[in-house]
Amino acid sequence: MLTILRDLIRYNLEFRIGLVLVTIVLVMAGLSFVSPYPPGEVYIVPPDVPPSSTYWLGTTSRGQDVFWQLTFAIRNTLSFGIMVAVLSRIIALVVGLLAGYSGGWIDRVLMSINDTFIIIPLFPILILFYFVLRDTMSTTLLATIMACLGWAYDARLIRSVALSLKTREFTQTSIFSGMKTHEILAREHLPYVLPIVFSTTMNNMNWSIGIEVTLAVLGFTDINAPTIGGMIYWANQHTALVAGIWWWIAFPIGLVVMTFVGLFLLAVSMNEYIDPRSRLARMGGGR
Amino acid sequence: MSALLELDRVSKSFSRGGLFSKQRVEAVKDVSFALEPDKPEIFTVIGESGSGKSTLARMILGIHAPSSGQVRLAGRDVATYERRAFMAEVQPIFQNPFEAFNPLKQLDRYLFMTAERFGDASGKGAAQAQADEALRQVGLSLAEIAGRFPHELSGGQLQRVAIARALVAKPRLIVADEPVSMVDASLRMSIVNLFGRLRDQLGLSIVYITHDLATAYYISDRLIIMQKGVVVEQGPARAVLSAPTHPYSRQLRDAVLTPDSAGAFRADHSPKAVATSGDMP
Amino acid sequence: MSEASDPAPVLEVRDLQAHFRTRYFGVNREVRAVDGVSFDVRRNEIYGLAGESSSGKTTLVKTIAGLLKPPLEMVGGSARFSFLPEWDAVGRAPPEVVRRIRWRHLSYIMQGSMNVLNPLRRIKHSFRDFAWRHLGGSKGEFDARAAAHLERVKLDPSVLSAYPHELSGGMRQRVTIALATICKPDFVIADEPTTALDVVVQKDVLAMIRNIQREMESSVLFITHDMGVHAALTDRLGIMYAGRLVEDGDTPDVFATPLHPYTRHLIASLPRIGDVKQREGLEGTPPNLAAPPPGCRFHPRCPLAMPVCATMVPAMVETLPRHRVACHAVNPGVAA
Repeated sequence: MLTILRDLIRYNLEFRIGLVLVTIVLVMAGLSFVSPYPPGEVYIVPPDVPPSSTYWLGTTSRGQDVFWQLTFAIRNTLSFGIMVAVLSRIIALVVGLLAGYSGGWIDRVLMSINDTFIIIPLFPILILFYFVLRDTMSTTLLATIMACLGWAYDARLIRSVALSLKTREFTQTSIFSGMKTHEILAREHLPYVLPIVFSTTMNNMNWSIGIEVTLAVLGFTDINAPTIGGMIYWANQHTALVAGIWWWIAFPIGLVVMTFVGLFLLAVSMNEYIDPRSRLARMGGGR
Repeated sequence: MSALLELDRVSKSFSRGGLFSKQRVEAVKDVSFALEPDKPEIFTVIGESGSGKSTLARMILGIHAPSSGQVRLAGRDVATYERRAFMAEVQPIFQNPFEAFNPLKQLDRYLFMTAERFGDASGKGAAQAQADEALRQVGLSLAEIAGRFPHELSGGQLQRVAIARALVAKPRLIVADEPVSMVDASLRMSIVNLFGRLRDQLGLSIVYITHDLATAYYISDRLIIMQKGVVVEQGPARAVLSAPTHPYSRQLRDAVLTPDSAGAFRADHSPKAVATSGDMP
Repeated sequence: MSEASDPAPVLEVRDLQAHFRTRYFGVNREVRAVDGVSFDVRRNEIYGLAGESSSGKTTLVKTIAGLLKPPLEMVGGSARFSFLPEWDAVGRAPPEVVRRIRWRHLSYIMQGSMNVLNPLRRIKHSFRDFAWRHLGGSKGEFDARAAAHLERVKLDPSVLSAYPHELSGGMRQRVTIALATICKPDFVIADEPTTALDVVVQKDVLAMIRNIQREMESSVLFITHDMGVHAALTDRLGIMYAGRLVEDGDTPDVFATPLHPYTRHLIASLPRIGDVKQREGLEGTPPNLAAPPPGCRFHPRCPLAMPVCATMVPAMVETLPRHRVACHAVNPGVAA
């Protein structure tokens, strides 16, 4: 694992840039644990102070320090993204591998469920959930709903790879070596779908963060939990741009863009590294 | 006593096409033969692409179920076997040795796995001993294979490992689907000879599926020749190939090019001598 | 043979070297897939190249054809065509020059016919894409010409309006042969063109290649691992082992008196119908070309190996008339 990291840092510029960006984002999120201000409190610092040496990124019209508020926001937004990505990856992997490998009626049932999820209109459903659940709507619940809505495309992608893996001779060798279905899926086929899982993880995080920000900006989430979208929501409520409080909006947007770009670069470079062809070439096989 | 392997009027058809234009394609039609239980032999199935020989192999291996007819192992329908119990009796060898093992995984784990699941090896030591024994039967040893990845070995070596893996399960029957067609010429005969040794020394019966008439003549005891899913000729291998009677068998035999067919199309023949056998559809 | 009267070679390969160079995250590999190969192909002959999967024969023809893509690089030597005398290899000529000679002078028949034929386009469109600009004329004239040429490979002109998937494998391969020969090229490279075909179809396709070649008096470089095909088809035969040519000569001579121990083994190990003699495989395995053995690359497997074989690379020597071999046991004391 360490050597992989070392190789990537040494030979891949995209990875280096991505790593720097994501590290900054992670450090920001980590700093939330040592914040001098509790995240929910308002009017604890002078409002509308531009960036200065005392308040690095300025303060909001609600009397919050933008820098420390941002540390909480990015932590919540990131963990939301990770939660959605991990949950939906698990569903996509299980459904995709199982459907592709099993074929027959299992495949047909799983894929008709899959296709149902693909055509469900995402936004109205999310808003509907918000109105129905309203008070009980929490970040965790939203993440779960998003995960349930965000696996279907990738499951199809994984299924197509699984379908081709199934016809490869080593799958039959594994069967006749006495391996059980779950062993074949986990040990023989998983390495071949990992590149997809990796790239879709990053994409899925970007997607879910994007949706969360959108929902939050429109006020369709738990606005009291600080998130990037929540910050922009409050800034809008206080017409920050009109009032010239640009730092209230610019820094959250800057940070979330940094997260997007960083994750994207990591996904691209790790994909190249983890791809079976490149792996084989490093092991000394293939051409 | 019931036959080791018996195919009783086995047919297989696939449906092709979409919802409204389903077509039935008969891949194998009404094939019957039997392998004697106490007389190990190499039974060859000869056919070209589309002859149904690979479908036949997959039915013998229980991967496909026949559309009609029965494949019986030791008198019992293959479909009624518990899969593990069946695999302990019948093991496959595939065409492409470079594809037979996961390129990202070490080879020995397939051997150990087979030993633990079929060779009743309990514990690592027993599995290693069984793997080593099987590898020695194919002219390798565990010391040479342990920790190696597929790309580190030649096609010939990989095919030996594949055979060793099958042997670890101590089967009674091996189904080899085009096992030498992708092995380099200089190594091919070693594999073919190995099949002969497995028959003579270990008493294994082998269903050898091939398009290559020369190796079939060289190694097999009996054969069937298939065309478009139908058996057109069968009998003792050398007798059939020396004097094929069915037109298709004759056409196949005459199309085989060997070093002795020198100059069949060479320039010093007159253009008219370049005959085409007229397979025009 | 009668063609021997025309001495000017169409293709002159001299000390050709082509390597695969890969860099993946700091692991550098250099695979010497073709390492110092020299031979000539003359007008109106089929030159066969035989060898195993790792012998470098496909790399060799890719280099000759100028189809070099990274990681494959031409490292040294030359492969000069008589119709392109100003460049010492197709791969070194500028793209516009290569475009001019492709199909007109130099064409290919590849193993997978589906790689050449666009599955979504009718056969006649493939013909137009490849050959129209070389042959010119109106669309009608060109199509008529294509139809006439298809008849040469015994295909009905109606094939022109078919899609590739509607044809059988043998018919498709015939279409690619027609496609490769419609411009009457001087030189055709055929890489395992019949390997994927059934033996009965293979026989016809080989006859077709021979007939067309004779009609056009072109040269063909024919690659296959199948010694039976070489025996039946080729005029001259080169045997490759581990990136080097170890023997070449007129095909009947190579089969009648193989000189290199590897060639001898290749011919002797082939089983024949009607002959029950025991045939043996060769000990050992083909070498890893990233770290080939020193001296003669065959020596670790050679039944005639001597100490010198491990240290000195044997030179290709014309031991018999028009029959060269690189072996210390045959030509004692001749190093490259």
